[in-house]
Amino acid sequence: MMRPLLDVQNLTIELTTRDGVAPVIDDLSFSLNAGETLSFVGESGCGKSMTALALMGLLPANVGRISSGHILFEGADLAQASDARLRKIRGNDISMIFQEPMTSLNPVLTIGEQIAEVLRAHQGLSRKAAWEQAIALLDAVRIPNPKGRAGDYPFQMSGGQRQRAMIAMALACAPKILIADEPTTALDVTVQAQIFDLLGDLRKQTGAAIILITHDMGAVAEMAERMIVMYAGRKAELGPVDQIIDHPRHPYTKGLIECVPHIQSELSSTRHDLVEVPGIVPSLREFGKDQCLFASRCRYLTEACLAGRPKPKEFANAQSADCWHAEEL
Amino acid sequence: MSDLLNVDNLTVRFEVKRGGGWGKKSYLYAVDDISFAVKKGETLAIVGESGSGKTTAALAVARLVKAHSGSVCLGGEDVLQTQDEDLRAFRQKVQFIFQDPYSSLNPRQRAEAIVREPLDSLSNKSAAEKTQIVEGLFQAVGLRPEQQRLFPHQFSGGQRQRIGIARALATQPELIICDEPVSALDVAVQAQILNLLRKLQKDFGLTYLFISHDLGVVQHMSDSIAVMYMGRIVEHADRMSLFTAPRHPYTQALLSAVPTVDRVKRASQKRILIPGDPPDPVNLPKGCRFANRCLVAQELCHRQEPALMSDDNGHRTACHLVS
Ligand SMILES: Nc1ncnc2c1ncn2[C@@H]1O[C@H](COP(=O)(O)OP(=O)(O)OP(=O)(O)O)[C@@H](O)[C@H]1O
Ligand SMILES: Nc1ncnc2c1ncn2[C@@H]1O[C@H](COP(=O)(O)OP(=O)(O)O)[C@@H](O)[C@H]1O
Ligand code: SF4
Ligand code: SF4
Ligand SMILES: [Mg+2]
Ligand SMILES: [Mg+2]
Repeated sequence: MMRPLLDVQNLTIELTTRDGVAPVIDDLSFSLNAGETLSFVGESGCGKSMTALALMGLLPANVGRISSGHILFEGADLAQASDARLRKIRGNDISMIFQEPMTSLNPVLTIGEQIAEVLRAHQGLSRKAAWEQAIALLDAVRIPNPKGRAGDYPFQMSGGQRQRAMIAMALACAPKILIADEPTTALDVTVQAQIFDLLGDLRKQTGAAIILITHDMGAVAEMAERMIVMYAGRKAELGPVDQIIDHPRHPYTKGLIECVPHIQSELSSTRHDLVEVPGIVPSLREFGKDQCLFASRCRYLTEACLAGRPKPKEFANAQSADCWHAEEL
Repeated sequence: MSDLLNVDNLTVRFEVKRGGGWGKKSYLYAVDDISFAVKKGETLAIVGESGSGKTTAALAVARLVKAHSGSVCLGGEDVLQTQDEDLRAFRQKVQFIFQDPYSSLNPRQRAEAIVREPLDSLSNKSAAEKTQIVEGLFQAVGLRPEQQRLFPHQFSGGQRQRIGIARALATQPELIICDEPVSALDVAVQAQILNLLRKLQKDFGLTYLFISHDLGVVQHMSDSIAVMYMGRIVEHADRMSLFTAPRHPYTQALLSAVPTVDRVKRASQKRILIPGDPPDPVNLPKGCRFANRCLVAQELCHRQEPALMSDDNGHRTACHLVS
């Protein structure tokens, strides 16, 4: 078997807050193959962004730290790497786009200047070559009239255009991994469709692997081959997207799929109530307990669930679920 | 069922500052000559992209923003001109639920006071009656009695939205306008709130004007749907027709853009990607407002704006290619 591009082993990230220290990511293992799209899903506060920030070496200073585990990228351990080394990998091999592009673009520099700056820093291009390459990238992310728009400031662009400019910037160093944290949550669905289409094309052209963080199962189904469902800092379920959607093995995954009013091809005139997952994600204080953290919301709960943290149950189709009753589902 | 709400030729415009012409005023027509009706006990959804005028239309119906022209009738009564006592009566009949359960509640008020507020300002009920009503409302929206004493920050997002719903119900309104009521919530909590809204509708015979950009939610909640684009209604039909046989090119693109877990739909439906951005709302092009992005635009479309025409079943479409 080929070595995965990224191999995360037993990653634990601790957050220090007023309430104490909590494992916001708790013993997480997964791998990412070259060229594949892997999706992280789950409600807010389950640790999706923290995972991304850890990969990027951008954990909040003095608050978050990797307390154990490994992030193996092409043989090197990013969890151990020195800052200089990390910065280099982050700049060249792994890049990230955020939910709100406005917060990660510099408001007083034109879009073209910002992209050119990345190109000069990471690829050592001359001023002129960088500017030309920046325009080519804006063209690649389908900004109309890229030559003219390169001189625009971020505020002069629509939300969708800003996100595309952000993607152009992330692509500037030809990364091997592109992490997209809810890249379309703030956008209209027609614009979201453009961005997804763009990401799909770029993946084909550049061969980059994509980590797509989202709370939308529909987006996962469209975009990703494999998915990881996160709950309260832990992996609830992992596996091929189609298999999981057809037959989720973790009650949380099942709830996430069923509770959403998905748009239907066969519309009937009778409507039923939506399936509810009662309650909400536990607070950070509850993270790390030696029991199933979904227990208070789970309709399959038994005593075993409170007696210890569930072990991953592996299935033959590469699906695995951290639930004591995964086989019964 | 008869119509509860009739909106006719409603226009809302905002004055905008634009460099250039001396003293020349520019206007942004956020809502431009729209008409629709909502039957009593039903839900009309308004969908459309950001900036299409959904919120502005809703605010104008509730008289929270001034209409430039047109009429709004509630139960046959023209409400845009009403004053004083009649206006108070109107305010009791039409209530609003906002998107953001965080900013729409006063952080310094206890939940009980927040829910009681519309009663204090709009009704003549005694203190004892109000206390009793508030108690009933907490129960109706699934909050516990002792939670009345808590402040907004002591509630989760979904619970805060329940407070907002209880407040909207306080005056026994006929029409509730829900502006993106679940957009800020996680999917699991969203399902709880949507179920609650449907139950309340049945129990109290409520009529909803329901704004959302989530077409799955709209499909689940509404009886009919109006699609807005740049201040205009471009298509309006009942739930079945709109979702199974959309006619306007924009509606078709919108529906095809929704990502879905439904493998049948994904395989059978080709995604229509509409290029570009909507035009400048202050400087609208001459013909059809969608023409610069429409994949099937004709020469005529750039010259003449299509009218919103109804077929025999009341399915309305504004497109030269649909007759
Ligand atoms: N008070 C105001 N002054 C000037 N322009 C306004 C005002 N309120 C809204 N607009 C403009 O009117 C248009 C319609 O806005 P509206 O808020 O109704 O859109 P919407 O469909 O609710 O969008 P969203 O989905 O983003 O909530 C937009 O172009 C907006 O910028
Ligand atoms: N800078 C921070 N300081 C303290 N707590 C944080 C910080 N960032 C995130 N958290 C907490 O960490 C948890 C996981 O957050 P996050 O990874 O952002 O979740 P998700 O992306 O899945 O919504 C949440 O409880 C969040 O409040
Ligand atoms: S371990 Fe038990 S409580 Fe946890 S998800 Fe499985 S069945 Fe539910
Ligand atoms: S009127 Fe013309 S431009 Fe407008 S939606 Fe119809 S075909 Fe497209
Ligand atoms: Mg996040
Ligand atoms: Mg709005």
